[in-house]
Amino acid sequence: MKSVYRVLAYLIALGVVVQAASMVYAIAGLGIWVDEGGTFDKAAFESDETLFPEVVGFMIHGMNGMMLIPLLALIFLIVSFFAKVPGGVKWAALVLLAVVVQVTLGIFGHENAIFGALHGVNALLLFSLAVTAGMRANRPATTPVSSSESERELV
Amino acid sequence: MSSRLRLVLACLATAALLAPLTWFWTTSLLPEEYSVMDMGYADYGGGPAAELQGGHTGMDPGTHAEMGAGGTSIVALTADQERRADVKVHLRAEKREFELASGREVDGYTLNGDSPGPVIRAKQGQLVEVRLDNESVPEGITLHWHGLDVPNAMDGVAGVTQDAVLEGDSFTYRFVAEQVGTYWYHTHQVSHELVRRGLLGGLVVTPRGDDPADVDALAVVHHYGGHRTINGDEGDVSVAAASGETVRVRVVNTDNGPMPVWVSGSPFRVLAVDGTEVNEPTMVNGESVLVTAGGRADLEIAMPDDGSGARVEMGGSAAMVLGGSRTDVPQADAPETFVDLLSYGSPTPPDFDPSNPARSFEYVIGRRPGFLDGRPGLWWTINGHMYPNVPMYMVSEGDVVKMRIENNSGEVHPMHLHGHHALVLSRDGVEATGSPWVVDSLNVADGESYDIAFVADNPGVWMDHCHNLPHAAEGLVAHLMYAGYTTPYMIGRSQNEPE
Repeated sequence: MKSVYRVLAYLIALGVVVQAASMVYAIAGLGIWVDEGGTFDKAAFESDETLFPEVVGFMIHGMNGMMLIPLLALIFLIVSFFAKVPGGVKWAALVLLAVVVQVTLGIFGHENAIFGALHGVNALLLFSLAVTAGMRANRPATTPVSSSESERELV
Repeated sequence: MSSRLRLVLACLATAALLAPLTWFWTTSLLPEEYSVMDMGYADYGGGPAAELQGGHTGMDPGTHAEMGAGGTSIVALTADQERRADVKVHLRAEKREFELASGREVDGYTLNGDSPGPVIRAKQGQLVEVRLDNESVPEGITLHWHGLDVPNAMDGVAGVTQDAVLEGDSFTYRFVAEQVGTYWYHTHQVSHELVRRGLLGGLVVTPRGDDPADVDALAVVHHYGGHRTINGDEGDVSVAAASGETVRVRVVNTDNGPMPVWVSGSPFRVLAVDGTEVNEPTMVNGESVLVTAGGRADLEIAMPDDGSGARVEMGGSAAMVLGGSRTDVPQADAPETFVDLLSYGSPTPPDFDPSNPARSFEYVIGRRPGFLDGRPGLWWTINGHMYPNVPMYMVSEGDVVKMRIENNSGEVHPMHLHGHHALVLSRDGVEATGSPWVVDSLNVADGESYDIAFVADNPGVWMDHCHNLPHAAEGLVAHLMYAGYTTPYMIGRSQNEPE
């Protein structure tokens, strides 16, 4: 169970990496599209077709961010109930909270770009929380005891 | 803490998390087949509740049998069956690969071999008869006459006003072209995909007398494969017009988002919006007109006397060039301001009195996480409810209806009401002061609210939905229903999927 906890934590961290990469990939592609004479407006964007190849980055960001990562975070929390990682439930809960904040900021970023900026900052926080939680699952459950103490227990 | 206790607690915590989620998931699942009459909750808008037995029954499996117990079936709401057609059109729908006028290959759908399909033209008062043959569209097809207030049985909404026309079948639409102006037609079966992929065309109704414009040009704007086209052609589309002539350009936005339109090389006037003429339109210079998804705008351009032409810019990525090949008008930058239709033109008394509405509805668009037919996500809400628990706006024939549309969802929604035209009374609390702004497709931006009013003078069951068709497929759909009328049709995965 501990390794499941650890894997999930790092998967979430990986998810954040995918989010960052896909968004910049899409925006870079948009810049190139415009540079080469393309036009990007709401009617074109909503026409559901591939305006330029990198537009898939927006879709990956949306699906990964709103479905996959939240699902992983939820499973992560449930696994933490069973995993016996020191502080495991607390860290999983923090990760889930950060995911909720992240999705909320992302949605509000559509109305006010400042929330988009905060979305970028919170991503780093979420990444850190996920990695920290994963590392906690590496630690042994108890601190090493001195040889005399372990002798006493064996008796 | 003992490990057994810990295990029990862990299981309880898991159950506490998963139980509500499972419950929400289960209750969101749609039945295999359902009638719009059983959907959501009846909203009477403060007016009298429907007295007849037939009509809205609420989402209750037991009352399904009551459907059709009383009230007139909308199947009877057709045009005069005896009258001979003045305009006869035969449309054959196919699923196939085709070539646009620009030469680009598209894998989509055609009507009579083309997309956009043939333009249907009629004079005011003529009876139009369109025979639709589904030759090879496996998804099924209907035709909806966007902006025309036709009899309900001719409205072309699969699962509401008819069954979708299956492959090999055919359906005949008949309606009188009472409204003059620019319209379009498109399928309303799996519309979010098949309209995008080509099942659409333009429709123009001209007045009985002569047309005042010297040149009349229709610009059906549609994106194919990510490329904007005008009547299927990419880039610059030429229209011949001599110096001194007036040109009426009918712009139709068939895509899912609003499009700014401006004119390079000449001032212009907005003659009509969504088919309704503007009263005393003034000259526009250096401003754009925002044509919303599904909406139309007719512009009048007087060709410059010096022989230089003009360009009607469709969002900047395509243009209708007026004046033939000698034209060398540079593309003007997109203006930063838009013509405000709330104050454009001169006021004139509307043809009904909106001051004492019999019904007053709210259509507040929001967004929240939840399950839509079992799918998790962030979904649209109407008055706080997700599909299918949306309001069914109940009216009686003759009612003056007021509706407040408010958008708090974070995205723009082009709202389209079937079968009726609505007068915009105010936007964000500011009253309309220009020519009566009458719409069937209204661009409601995020944070905006509109008060509109219309007369319930066309009985039946009518869709009132976002014309960003993927949004409609995600449940941003409500209906307007007349007391005393029922529909026998059902929406279901097996045949009818209007969105």
